[in-house]
Amino acid sequence: MTNWTTMNWTLAIPEIVLSCFAMAILVFGALWKRESFRMCSMMAVGALLVTAMLVVSNSSGIGYRGLFTNDSFSGFIKLLVLVSSALGIIVSLDYAEHENLRRFEFPVLIMLCTVGMMIMASASNLMTLYLGLELQSLAIYVLAAFARDQLRSSEAGLKYFVLGALASGLLLYGISLIYGFSGSMAFDRLATALSDPTKASPGLIVGIVFVIAGLAFKISAVPFHMWTPDVYEGAPTPVTSFMGTAPKVAAMALLVRAMATPFGHLLPQWQQLIVLVSIASMLLGSLAAIGQTNIKRLMAYSSIGHMGYTLIGLAAGTAVGIRGVLIYLVTYVFMNAGTFACIIAMRRRGRMLEKVSDLSGLAKTDPGLAAALMIFMFSMAGIPPFTGFWGKYFIFTAAVQSGLWTLAVIGVLTSVIGAYYYLRIIKVMYFDEAHEAFDPRPGSLTFVGGVSAIFTTVFFLFPAPLVGAAEAAARVLFG
Amino acid sequence: MIAALAFYVFAAILIGSAAMVVSARNPVHSVLFLILAFFNAAALFLLAGAEFLAMILVIVYVGAVAVLFLFVVMMLDVDFAALRGGFQRYLPVGLMVGLVLLIELGLVLSGWKFLPEAASIRFAPGVSNVSNTAQLGRLIYTDYVFLFQSAGLVLLVAMIGAIVLTLRDKGDSRRQVIARQIARDPNHTMVMMNLASHVGTKDLGYLRPTETEPEEAGDMPEQDHHEHAAQDVARGGHH
Amino acid sequence: MLVVGLGHYLTVSAILLVLGVFGIFLNRKNVIVILMSVELILLAVNLNLVAFSAALNDLAGQVFAMFVLTVAAAEAAIGLAILVTYFRNRGSIQVEDVNLMKG
Repeated sequence: MTNWTTMNWTLAIPEIVLSCFAMAILVFGALWKRESFRMCSMMAVGALLVTAMLVVSNSSGIGYRGLFTNDSFSGFIKLLVLVSSALGIIVSLDYAEHENLRRFEFPVLIMLCTVGMMIMASASNLMTLYLGLELQSLAIYVLAAFARDQLRSSEAGLKYFVLGALASGLLLYGISLIYGFSGSMAFDRLATALSDPTKASPGLIVGIVFVIAGLAFKISAVPFHMWTPDVYEGAPTPVTSFMGTAPKVAAMALLVRAMATPFGHLLPQWQQLIVLVSIASMLLGSLAAIGQTNIKRLMAYSSIGHMGYTLIGLAAGTAVGIRGVLIYLVTYVFMNAGTFACIIAMRRRGRMLEKVSDLSGLAKTDPGLAAALMIFMFSMAGIPPFTGFWGKYFIFTAAVQSGLWTLAVIGVLTSVIGAYYYLRIIKVMYFDEAHEAFDPRPGSLTFVGGVSAIFTTVFFLFPAPLVGAAEAAARVLFG
Repeated sequence: MIAALAFYVFAAILIGSAAMVVSARNPVHSVLFLILAFFNAAALFLLAGAEFLAMILVIVYVGAVAVLFLFVVMMLDVDFAALRGGFQRYLPVGLMVGLVLLIELGLVLSGWKFLPEAASIRFAPGVSNVSNTAQLGRLIYTDYVFLFQSAGLVLLVAMIGAIVLTLRDKGDSRRQVIARQIARDPNHTMVMMNLASHVGTKDLGYLRPTETEPEEAGDMPEQDHHEHAAQDVARGGHH
Repeated sequence: MLVVGLGHYLTVSAILLVLGVFGIFLNRKNVIVILMSVELILLAVNLNLVAFSAALNDLAGQVFAMFVLTVAAAEAAIGLAILVTYFRNRGSIQVEDVNLMKG
């Protein structure tokens, strides 16, 4: 059991170091008189990499009187979050130059947001959960409204803020009910206290429902998805790219840990809810995306669908299911980051383009970009051998093993429907009339797109390390 | 008995003013009712023995947050009549949602009982002979130091966010450059001359500083109302 | 610890929560009142936490209420900052009449 007397300060070294870096870069950017955006961004990427190394070398354990836990699950999520934040910063380099967003606060906010997500990954108390979540969310509200001279960016920020604040209010109310019923907010104490499911009172169940609703908002699962298309479309594209990857991973990790550890014994109570949310998200994600002409909106619906698939793994409620969730999240991050790198490269005569029709004939004008986008679309549609297929494969097998046949069948059906609009993009690129070529792509986007494309393509050759790490991480939660 | 009576009075005013917050026609009234609601909530906190939180609620909420709201309401020149357009239309739906939620919560909360083990898994049981403030202080700087620092980061993000979104540095705003001000040499700004009595200095005209640069040195920083707003919003983050 | 039953506190807090949610539904166009409704929801949460903390004689609830207050203040600052940028771009704070982005 937990050793409640020790602090174990060193467990949070990566978080502490990253926040110190963020503050140092903030001071540097404020005092450095000349243009400092690019340099601050580079330093931020460096800081994220240093932090990643610290995460790898850090030890496991419980610290800060049980508020903070390091285990292989949190390590896995933290590495993924750090990588996707670094990709998010790299993708913004060129965009910021063109759209006049060169402000050093941008990388600083991404770093502080990352600290919040790392705290979420390690949260083992409802209080830590809430503070990490708010640190992350507040930074993203600001980032969404970052293009302060554009109406649609401020509108995106405002919508996200209002709905996000409502969601965290409901989450908090749920936390207060859970605390009131059981007298504790620590995960392991809750788990011991609730080991007998018959003792759960209606108050506790309502509390858990509120918590699930609040977290479902953060991963934009149906019915809390209303903000997603608007915010994805309105926010500056690199922010959309970032918002679609790291925070989703962190919020999903939080949901998984909160359901598995303190409420693990109440599986029958919350399983039905997760199943319903998952089915609704998969259906909406695949059906509503069909009519979309704006590629950012399309990606929004696509992400709703992907979160639906990921929830299947949680609904399975087994170590195999959680392993599926983790593998799916990794594949999702790289597909998403790569696709958004391609979207940011859609620029003609200095103007950003966002329509699917703008891609027509891309294969003739820019075969490299078209090939990369094709890989991501095939992968999202779940076509082997790309990673998207393997993510779905691990999730669906877990569902079948747990006897959730309906979920698996609906998942396969919605994947087939979803394939339609992914393949339509490929058709537009390869078989439609060619337009004028896009502006030359900067190296940063080629780097992100290339790395993601290579990972997405060759993952099936070397799956062992990732699957092994996911397996180890999942065992922590469901032994 | 008196305490119970006080509870009912404060609770009734709290709920009444909260209802006025969401239904007042004029947002300025909404903010004022919000302040009243905070005061009464602070009284309820006091009755529950949370003295420190009650004071914090008054200082932080009434003193800073509500005033910030008031400031923004006054600053944004909004046609409030137009904003009430949907009120009647949403009233039935809103009432229904509210009633359903209230009934559900009522059912859940009316028969509230604690988990039998609740007393044994408490994290920080209260101590009888130490004041509430001292107990909280012991906890947040020791057991909860991690959360305390995280809350600090949250405030930092709020500060950066408010500044980055609203502060407009137009480049032509005049700032005080203290170094220049101090380094000014009297020779550049003053001419000493001997004048005979009853003779003016008309033919000399205005005396200008001999160097161009000190011109901006002495000016007070000039700000338009936007920048004031930015600073005030930013200041809200500190509290 | 409590001068009246825990149920009284919980009822007051539930009514506050419902009023907050109600306010968000009712004032869809007026963002400032929406922000104030969010503050009411957080006040309801704090009331809950304080009441439970007193009933359980456990200070963790009060500590959490303090952090919630901190975060709520930060949230108000950021919300109003975003609102100010929105107002500068649009000249109004009506959210609903904007058709730039459709649902």
